[in-house]
Amino acid sequence: MRLVLKAQPGLRVDLRGVLPERLLGLAVAEVERVEVGCGNRLVPLAELFALHADAFDVLRFEGDLSRCDRIGWKMNGGRIVVDGPVGHYAGGLMSAGSIDVRGDAGDLAACEMAGGTLAVAGDAGDFAASALPGGMDGMRGGTLVVKGDAGARFGDRMRRGNALVYGDAGDFVASRLVAGTIAIGGACGAHPCTGMRRGSVVFAGAVPQVAPTFVRVGADVGVFWRLLATSLARHGGPFAALASRAIERHVGDAAVAGKGELIVAR
Amino acid sequence: MIFNGVAIDDTFAEAFPMKATRLVITAHDATWAHHAAQSATGFATSVIACGCEAGIERELHPRETPDGRPGVSILLFAVSGKELGKQVEKRVGQCILTCPTTAVYAGIAEGDPLPLGRNLRFFGDGWQQSKMIDGVRYWRVPVMDGEFVAAESTAVVKAVGGGNLLLLARDTEAALAAASAAVAAMRRLSNVIMPFPGGVVRSGSKVGSKYAALPASTNGAYCPSLVGLVAHSALDANVRSVLEIVIDGIGQADVAAAMRAGIDACVAIGARGGVLRVGAGNYGGKLGPYHFHLRELMRGA
Repeated sequence: MRLVLKAQPGLRVDLRGVLPERLLGLAVAEVERVEVGCGNRLVPLAELFALHADAFDVLRFEGDLSRCDRIGWKMNGGRIVVDGPVGHYAGGLMSAGSIDVRGDAGDLAACEMAGGTLAVAGDAGDFAASALPGGMDGMRGGTLVVKGDAGARFGDRMRRGNALVYGDAGDFVASRLVAGTIAIGGACGAHPCTGMRRGSVVFAGAVPQVAPTFVRVGADVGVFWRLLATSLARHGGPFAALASRAIERHVGDAAVAGKGELIVAR
Repeated sequence: MIFNGVAIDDTFAEAFPMKATRLVITAHDATWAHHAAQSATGFATSVIACGCEAGIERELHPRETPDGRPGVSILLFAVSGKELGKQVEKRVGQCILTCPTTAVYAGIAEGDPLPLGRNLRFFGDGWQQSKMIDGVRYWRVPVMDGEFVAAESTAVVKAVGGGNLLLLARDTEAALAAASAAVAAMRRLSNVIMPFPGGVVRSGSKVGSKYAALPASTNGAYCPSLVGLVAHSALDANVRSVLEIVIDGIGQADVAAAMRAGIDACVAIGARGGVLRVGAGNYGGKLGPYHFHLRELMRGA
């Protein structure tokens, strides 16, 4: 199923419920009648998108969807491809399946994601892989890959899964991290890993400014590093040669009695 | 049925269902991986008194191990999943956790989970950390040489225990040569272990005893020193040494393949080398569901 945006909507569009597991298999006419939020009213999909039944196993969006929020929200299987940028909350609360965004993503991408894969070819906004406003836990499973840069608070309160940024990450990356793995291919902003409890944050690019509440630990963790680096290396790019690089490991954040690790690949 | 002068008895080995798991042990180098593997599979010849039967399956190239270090795979067999769990916990805790530089991983993916690092992690006294990598949970326990990495669990599978061969030879030299060659041939195969010392057992047993307290006693029918003395000796005066090889395997086909490889090795030595007969132990076929008939194994040879 291919959905081509007719024109940039004047108001924000809420695409929750427009999911492959729900729509693939329906007739085009039925899909056209599915209602989505636009501003403060509900409109049929056909008012915003031209529908084409020429892709059977994938839900493909085309156009500038930067005003379309909650793409893949609570998605539980199947595949979504977006040829263009997307709005906020892309892949939020998704538990399975895959979303390919061939553009930028807004804020809160993959927030509270529990499984599946969200790949963003461009940049991601703030709070990617983090908790929803008011939420206690951030991303809790699955994989988020941002090929460009990420905004601030990347992985805030994240507790499981893998979140990778090929480029730079903003301030407070991995803040309040509960567990899980974050890898940054470029540089990061100020105060990385503030309030981190557990989990691993790998810096494959620029050396970050490590807070004094982290303890440099020189013990041999070669076995664990080989397991993790080999897994991350499959993503290629700045992570491809990780397993062959020496590491410097800092444990913290001691300010919150944290046992997380900040790993700098040399 | 005679090959190269070696008579293949018209009998069968009787084997039993068991529960098994495979562990992959890695270390800084192959020597330390072997130290851990030998220790973890020590005193594990028979479930009668050891709790489990265990042995080294094979050495693993760094390419085959999860962490890219040299490794050894071991197989452990027990009469129940519960007993296997106890044995794995004790043996990994005392023999692998303690061995410098080692890490331990599940060697079987599919099956009921059996705790590996799940309980051992508490050795970390609160400093242990868990890590999910590619869907597998690992535990990292701080130890004096760095950290001990263990997979959360391994898997239990159904298995076959008690496949066996009896090698009847002219004298001790010939029996040892045949047994060594047969074990060497079997060790080239995967999915099987020979749990006795050097893979060989000389104290084959029968069920029961004249002493009420003993469930098993010496297999008089195959003791050369009792020829003419016991009621039904299986030997004649030419046989002066009998050795047995016990085989535990993951599947029936694995045990059968190992038995065939063992018989072939004995046949290669032949009567000229002092191997006179190859037999097998059974209990009349009523106790174990798996029957390995020697002549069927040799069909087509």
